[in-house]
Amino acid sequence: MLDQIKQWIEHRRSGKIGSHDPGNLPNPKIPGEQLLTDCRLIVLDLETTGLNPSRDQVIAIGAVAIQGGIIPLGDQFDLILRRPELDISETVLIHGIGPEALTQGHEIEDALLYLLEWMNGDPILAYHSAFDQKFLEKTLKAQLGYSQPHTWMDVADLMPAFFPNTKTGGKGLDNWADYFGLEVSERHHAASDALATAELTLIALNKARGEGVKTMKGLHDKLHYHRRLQNMHRF
Amino acid sequence: MASANQENDRPQNIRAIMTFLREHAPFSSMDDAHLAHFAENASIQFYADGDVVLSPDQDVVKRFYVVKQGRIRGERHNEKEDRAETTFEISKGECFPLAAIIGERPTRTLHRASGDTFCLSIGQSAFVTLFSESEPFRDFCLRGVSSLLDQVNRRIQSSAMASIGSSTSLDTPLERYALRNPIVCSPDLPVRKAVARMHENNVGSIIVTDENRYPTGIFTLRDLRTMIAEGTAPLDTPIQQVMTRNPCCLPSHSDAFEAAMLMAEHHFAHLCVTDDEHKLIGVVSERDLFSLQRVDLVNLARTIGTATHLHTLVSLRTDVSRLVDAMLAHGADSGQVVKIITTLNDVTVRRVLELNIKKNDPGIPFTWLTFGSEGRQEQTLLTDQDNGILFQTPEGMTEEQVREKLLPFARKVNDELAECGFTLCKGNIMASNPKLCLSDKEWDDWFIRFIDASTPQNLVYSSIFLDMRAIYGPMEPLNGLLDKVLTRIRKNALFQKMLAGNAFQRKPPLTMFRNFRYISEGNKHSLDLKRQGLAPFVEAVRVFALANGVETANTLGRIDELVTKEVFDPKDANAWKEAYSLIQAIRMRAHQEMLANEEELTNYIDPDDLNPLDRRILRESFRQAQRLQQKLEVTYQL
Repeated sequence: MLDQIKQWIEHRRSGKIGSHDPGNLPNPKIPGEQLLTDCRLIVLDLETTGLNPSRDQVIAIGAVAIQGGIIPLGDQFDLILRRPELDISETVLIHGIGPEALTQGHEIEDALLYLLEWMNGDPILAYHSAFDQKFLEKTLKAQLGYSQPHTWMDVADLMPAFFPNTKTGGKGLDNWADYFGLEVSERHHAASDALATAELTLIALNKARGEGVKTMKGLHDKLHYHRRLQNMHRF
Repeated sequence: MASANQENDRPQNIRAIMTFLREHAPFSSMDDAHLAHFAENASIQFYADGDVVLSPDQDVVKRFYVVKQGRIRGERHNEKEDRAETTFEISKGECFPLAAIIGERPTRTLHRASGDTFCLSIGQSAFVTLFSESEPFRDFCLRGVSSLLDQVNRRIQSSAMASIGSSTSLDTPLERYALRNPIVCSPDLPVRKAVARMHENNVGSIIVTDENRYPTGIFTLRDLRTMIAEGTAPLDTPIQQVMTRNPCCLPSHSDAFEAAMLMAEHHFAHLCVTDDEHKLIGVVSERDLFSLQRVDLVNLARTIGTATHLHTLVSLRTDVSRLVDAMLAHGADSGQVVKIITTLNDVTVRRVLELNIKKNDPGIPFTWLTFGSEGRQEQTLLTDQDNGILFQTPEGMTEEQVREKLLPFARKVNDELAECGFTLCKGNIMASNPKLCLSDKEWDDWFIRFIDASTPQNLVYSSIFLDMRAIYGPMEPLNGLLDKVLTRIRKNALFQKMLAGNAFQRKPPLTMFRNFRYISEGNKHSLDLKRQGLAPFVEAVRVFALANGVETANTLGRIDELVTKEVFDPKDANAWKEAYSLIQAIRMRAHQEMLANEEELTNYIDPDDLNPLDRRILRESFRQAQRLQQKLEVTYQL
């Protein structure tokens, strides 16, 4: 994977690909009648310097793809961004990315452009996706001036939507991972969390197939319905 | 940067998959580059409980799978009973399918997820790359689980090697094996009395010591021979005039190598071992040193069979254990080893009987019977006595009168066998028990009651008395008895069914979810390899053997005969024999380890102490026991 990125970056620098302006990047896809058994989904997780999108910064991006209901490990994204200027002393204990790793990270623009190319406009799933969405959109806008809206889906909604009344003991990624006995190789490593989230997604997609949800739109609707139900309960 | 630190260059998820793979065979013996190739080309798939993963209806198998989490069940349709039968189970870290992907054909078995299951899989091209480049992988794919069995056997051998290595090692300090009470005498003792003392103690040398226990001389059988042949001195000469003065001494902290060199140099057969103050503490003979290195079966059997004293027999027991180590190290399988142990045990029992008859002949011919594991020729080092006596009542005597003569004799034999390491039977299944010292008529009645009026208590005894063998005395009385017993059992369907039901109670220690089922014993997880592991095989096989007139008592022998009689399918039988032998091998290795650690021998092991490969094989072996029980269940409609 890294080789691919390096290659891509070299190509770009040598002008073979040409400088990407946001207009030439793949267009985000809208959830429509694509079959879940055919389409590609991105499952993403970010590590940041903190929880506040207006102040904190993205320092690592981990993502895996789901293609036709399986996770091909050759198709993944695992990068630490070059942010030598950042103060990460507060969060270094959580994600384990130290100052040294940050200075050796990838040039942020390169990394983001590559991410957009790699994502190919496919729908993005994340656990508590609002958080990742805010951070990624902010970063893309600040660094590349990119502001196209992507389709995001929250796996934290997806799970209870397909497994209602499941006693997980909480709403976190850890709760669901524990419930299904997943082994998360290294918690709070972006790529590792992304893989765990993707494995949960596979479980949900399997259930979806059983319930006759066949298309992207069907999945999207199911999530929408679940959220409305949740909101109704809240009142 | 790429070459600087390959491991850190790999994405986290690839590293994690490699770590997972490394914990399981055959990946554990594969190179990192090959593991990385596997991980980078792998996909993760999820199957919910009951989902079909591979089916015979599908096309040629194009992917190779490893269970990452959960279980896969192999299902075959049983035509006769029109139901699905589980033929195998594949759990975490195990691979499938092997035959189908190599044979480039569809699978013949339906593979179904059992519980929520994640699999890693690689496509054909990655499979072919690994197959051609990684030898351990190729070996595994071609030979499947049997290549893993080899690995287990190799390890059993190498650990046995290690333990032989340590005992033969010539840097063992002398004090380790010279600390016996040496036979000594004072310098003024007449030769005749000194020789009498040697004879009494069955030794070839005597050390002459002064009042401070300093060794001043040694006198050996060779000296005696010279003395008599050359007529140099009468037998009442004080020993100091004929002894070899200033015997060779070594301090106890010297090692066996020094002793061996000294002996070789001076052609001494004996050395005195002294403490730091030069006082005698023991004697080492050439035999002591070299018996450590070469223990051969024939010689050992001969030594046991001609031993003239009980204490010799007792001391030879350690040689038996050493021989077991040597046999395991030389690749003997557990079936051979248990037979050798049984042979040596038989020789020991016979010799104890002979020595006792010599001393105190009860005067009545009898057949010495052994039951249970000894009867089945399946003894290990941990063995207790299960024996009895069969006699024919001489004219003019009552059975009670015969018993009056035989029982004290049997008591002595039981006690002496206990000294030799055959633990007294807690259930008093011993020849000295009046209920088990019976005439042929009484035994026959006994079995009639046993078979016709089966009580639960009787059935508990079935594992003992239905595995019977004569090891001393005339064989014909037992053969006659066995004929009658077998015929009676063959005719008695109810008894067979009760036996089968009893055998079926003895469940292999696996839970529904294919984990080990532990016997509760505090916090420690433990499995009883004999009662939980071997017994299900032994008991089930016994039922089939008795019902089909198989006379052998040995479990593996019974399985073979049941194949000949077309009761067992040869393939099933092989799997059962292999599984049974492996549990036995793991048990024997545990015994050797306990012995080496000077722990009391037990049949308990904690599967957590086993490596993943042994655990997996053990689990698979238990599953074979379940399959054998299924056959019992179907045959006897339990």
